[in-house]
Amino acid sequence: MSDPVIPRSDWGSLCRLWSLLGPSRPMMLAGIGLRFLQSLALGAAFAIVVAVITELAAGGTISVERAGGITLALAVSLMAQIGFGYLSARLAWLSSFRAAHSLRLTLLRHLGRLPMGFHLSRHNGDSVAAVTSDMQVIDSFMSDALPQIAQSLGLPLAMLAFLALQDWVLALTATVTILLALPLFVLSSQRLARLGLIRQDRQAQASADMIEYVQGLAVIRAFNRTADAESRFHTALTEFRDISITLTVQLVRPMVLVGVVLMLGVPLVIAVGGWRLHAGAIEPMALIAVLVLILSLYAPLMAMLSVMELARLAEAALIRVDRILDATPLPQPVTPRTPEGFALRFEAVSFGYTPGSPTLRDTNFTVPERSTTAIVGPSGAGKSTILNLIARFWDVERGQILLGGVNLRDLDAAQLTDLVTVVFQDAWLCSGTIRDNIALGSVDASDEAIIAAARQAQAHDFIAALPQGYDTPVAEGGTTLSGGERQRISIARAILKNAPIVLLDEATSAIDPHTDRALRLALARLAEGRTLIMVAHKLSSVQAADEILMLDQGQITARGPHDTLIRENGPYRRWWKMQRGGEG
Amino acid sequence: MGMAKTGTDKSVFPERMAALRLIGFGLGGDWRKLAASVALATASVFFQLLLVWITWRLVLSLIEGRASPGLFFQAAVGGLAAVALYGLTFGLAMALSHRLAFDSILRIRLMMARHMAMLPLGWFADCPTGMAKKLVIDEPEQLELLIAHAIPEGTSAAVNWLALSVWLFVIDWRMALASIILTPLAAVAITYAMSRTRAETERYRKSQAQMNAAVVEYLAGMAVTKIFNRTDLTLARASDAVREQAAAQTAWALRYLPLGGSALPLAMASICVILTVGVWLMQAGQLDLATLAFFVIVGANYSRPLLKLFGLLHQLSHISLGAVEVLRLMRAPAQPDTGRHLPLGDHSVTFGNVRFGYDDRTVLHDVSFTAPAGEVTALVGPSGAGKSTIAGLILRTHDIQDGQILIGGVDIRDMAVDQLMQTVAVVFQQTFLFSDTVEANLRLAKPQATEAELIAACRAAQAHDFIQALPEGYATRIGAQGRMLSGGERQRLAIARAILKDAPVILLDEATAATDLENEAAIHAAMSALARGRTLIVIAHRLHTIRHADQILVVEGGRIVERGDHASLSAGTGAYARLWRDYRSDDEDPQLTQRRHG
Repeated sequence: MSDPVIPRSDWGSLCRLWSLLGPSRPMMLAGIGLRFLQSLALGAAFAIVVAVITELAAGGTISVERAGGITLALAVSLMAQIGFGYLSARLAWLSSFRAAHSLRLTLLRHLGRLPMGFHLSRHNGDSVAAVTSDMQVIDSFMSDALPQIAQSLGLPLAMLAFLALQDWVLALTATVTILLALPLFVLSSQRLARLGLIRQDRQAQASADMIEYVQGLAVIRAFNRTADAESRFHTALTEFRDISITLTVQLVRPMVLVGVVLMLGVPLVIAVGGWRLHAGAIEPMALIAVLVLILSLYAPLMAMLSVMELARLAEAALIRVDRILDATPLPQPVTPRTPEGFALRFEAVSFGYTPGSPTLRDTNFTVPERSTTAIVGPSGAGKSTILNLIARFWDVERGQILLGGVNLRDLDAAQLTDLVTVVFQDAWLCSGTIRDNIALGSVDASDEAIIAAARQAQAHDFIAALPQGYDTPVAEGGTTLSGGERQRISIARAILKNAPIVLLDEATSAIDPHTDRALRLALARLAEGRTLIMVAHKLSSVQAADEILMLDQGQITARGPHDTLIRENGPYRRWWKMQRGGEG
Repeated sequence: MGMAKTGTDKSVFPERMAALRLIGFGLGGDWRKLAASVALATASVFFQLLLVWITWRLVLSLIEGRASPGLFFQAAVGGLAAVALYGLTFGLAMALSHRLAFDSILRIRLMMARHMAMLPLGWFADCPTGMAKKLVIDEPEQLELLIAHAIPEGTSAAVNWLALSVWLFVIDWRMALASIILTPLAAVAITYAMSRTRAETERYRKSQAQMNAAVVEYLAGMAVTKIFNRTDLTLARASDAVREQAAAQTAWALRYLPLGGSALPLAMASICVILTVGVWLMQAGQLDLATLAFFVIVGANYSRPLLKLFGLLHQLSHISLGAVEVLRLMRAPAQPDTGRHLPLGDHSVTFGNVRFGYDDRTVLHDVSFTAPAGEVTALVGPSGAGKSTIAGLILRTHDIQDGQILIGGVDIRDMAVDQLMQTVAVVFQQTFLFSDTVEANLRLAKPQATEAELIAACRAAQAHDFIQALPEGYATRIGAQGRMLSGGERQRLAIARAILKDAPVILLDEATAATDLENEAAIHAAMSALARGRTLIVIAHRLHTIRHADQILVVEGGRIVERGDHASLSAGTGAYARLWRDYRSDDEDPQLTQRRHG
């Protein structure tokens, strides 16, 4: 939200939207063309009107044959309008549906290729909205607004051509206000695009304030601060209202102005027409025709103003979609190398999530194969970051991470995922059965293997106790199971995947002692024969590790096994004593 | 077309009125402003029509051969005035209606907030995340469209259409009929197209919901699926859902379009019918040229505003879907509050045969205990046993079905809600902090607290040191929900806040679960000091923190299955002894320590 966005002009947005149509462009073009034809068919009906009126005004009469002919011609025009209208809608809708569909697929694939860091550094909701609701806005703009533009232009163009045939001076006169309105429109639309961005930001801020009030209401009540908080909420609301009013007025004013300037063409044409008539430059019949048509010249152009408002909505959606499409996946090696062994090595690694505030500074350590390393330290020290970098959720800024002697960047992405598995603090389950979830990483695993993994993860008993056992469906996110149960399933998953390197972010959430014990047993099984690197929160885990890395402000302040470290009079010993004091 | 495509939801009439009822709330007494904006919008349409009329008079004079330069001058000036007045009235109508819309939205939001402040605390716990945004931000925001655009523009469209129709019919009913006929035909076509696509619409809506769910799952599980190299699995699901959505959309469109797609061109083609009827009437000598010209100029476009009305009805039903939610909130019963401040005997908390449940699911069965004043009472047991429910009920998160909860001998339902809140301080596992400064978050508990008091409370909660280390100390802004702080720091801040409140009854629900062990020990030391003379009720899974409690209650399945102190309970063979064994097992469990020793 905060990255600077240069507002595109309406024309720029239109071009971008057009390019997004991709292979659907010819079909959309046909749809737009047909809309144009529909307008022209309507224009033909107006031409007949003009012909009839001028003829009658000149004192003519209408015969039955003539009336029949006119009826036939009008019927043809009506049929053409309906036919073209239908075909246009069909082509435009279907092509925009197709384009939206393929754009959604592109977005999904692209999201899958982006580094995990991209997803972790923004709200998932934004990406979801880009694929669903934002695409919907773009879709309906393409299907309705694009042809609408053609329609709005078709009739006026036909009429201007007709006017030019009658009297070029009048035609020019009619164009004057359009030409005046155009730069006014472009200028204000650019200003509005900028204002729109400011408005979005301010409104987002104000909404955040309001949401916070509602979410914090329970706390506010618990502290008996309702009256005080309500007055603050009132202030936030008032601010929100004032911003909205100011900005809407700024939006409405130029739009009304553009409409008024356009419509001033009518009195102008009347004035100039009167002058041309009395100067003898135009026949009264021709002027009648002009006046009959003049109102229908500006009405479609006014309709275009509202189309342009839609364009601005689409533009906002487009910016969010482009933000995803413009993000680049991590570079992949051209010739991947194969690691020898599974030792891990950090060589002078520095990394920060935001430039200028490093999370890890010049970190060096080695994790031998089949050993357990516990990372401890205060929150914010960079513990989880080490895991994130090994899983290559982000790339390091300086230095390198070697796996089996090979820089992570030189490893094929699929191979890295084969070698490394992560057990997250917050276990996520996908929709499907429990069996599917355990077999997530090993699709062709046998039932025996799945059950064996579940047994090792201390999950078999509670799974077997479920009504449908391993075939029990879990909802997305796995909310039907308790936190401890979800964690054990995710451990079973990791055991079954059998990757040589396991990264573990130990859960901090409170669980009852029974569950806690089961979890610790499961983790012990997971660690067997594998390289385990864990962010440890529990003393038992720390004590059992082969090597402990103590991290503080992105730097390792102590390292070694517990027995050694505890004998030194260093930071670890102080830390341990305090921890132990807790369990005392 | 856009309107037809998005407005395909089938909604029943009473729901359609929900948005209007909400607007009624929001307008307060501002009906006159609404009337004024409708009147201004009507006037602006009138001035548009005035321009049409001026043009027609001029055409008439040309046909009759009496057009003088003066007439042209009059018409041009009149036209200029009409356009200017149109711009003025339309601009004013929009400014007024927007102001009104934003005022109403403010009123609705404030009304909701006031009502929410009277709901039992349990309402918030049961409220899914995102609901607050939906109710307070999104739904009222939608009303802008109705109040600022649909009502003034729709009403003015209807009023002018009616007035003009009368005029047209007075002049020539046959030609009037010819001008109107295509509009209802188009409306019928759209309505019929929508009713014959009901099945497709349903499929489309389902596919849309499925697509949203699949995309959410794809993104939420990204970290895990990437690690297991199975992004293809969730991607395939999401892609299938996208394909199905496109297929459903296309199937719907193919069935809708033959009628629906022809409707709009039909509605715009009135000129064809007008002229056809006109030439035949003229041929029969029943119509003069002036009248024909009138209908050609006036009749050709005048039905168009009617389509706006059509759109209004659709918006109304669409927005009402959300308005129903808001109204439901407004109807949620407020917590009964006696408003009476009663003298309390002491500050002991007593549960007497309390039964409580949600709907038909009983969570607590016949719970009775007393947490004596000046003592520490601990609640332990497996997750989901009902410990947090017990703690919450003391704050009246919900009112119980049977039994009673007393503080100092007074039923908590008999005392004023604010007396109850004054008496009880609570720290939950999930802390909530405001995106304000550290100090402001602390002062929530005691606005007039001195700086010394703030610091003392933070020292006791082991929060002073980390606060001092923040860039601006106590004046540091901590971001939305305290995002700048770690989980443990947030908890310590919440504990400091509770200490500052200085309430005689303190509830700690896993209050130190995310706190480092070092700080946890210190906090508990501070808490025991604080507990002197207060009633302390603690829920904890880390059993060492409650070993010294005066009374331990073991909760299982919504019942208290054991009670006593640590020494007696751990020496037995009951539930607590088992919990304690599991808790201490890591020190002597060979299964867990084999790696290091083996």
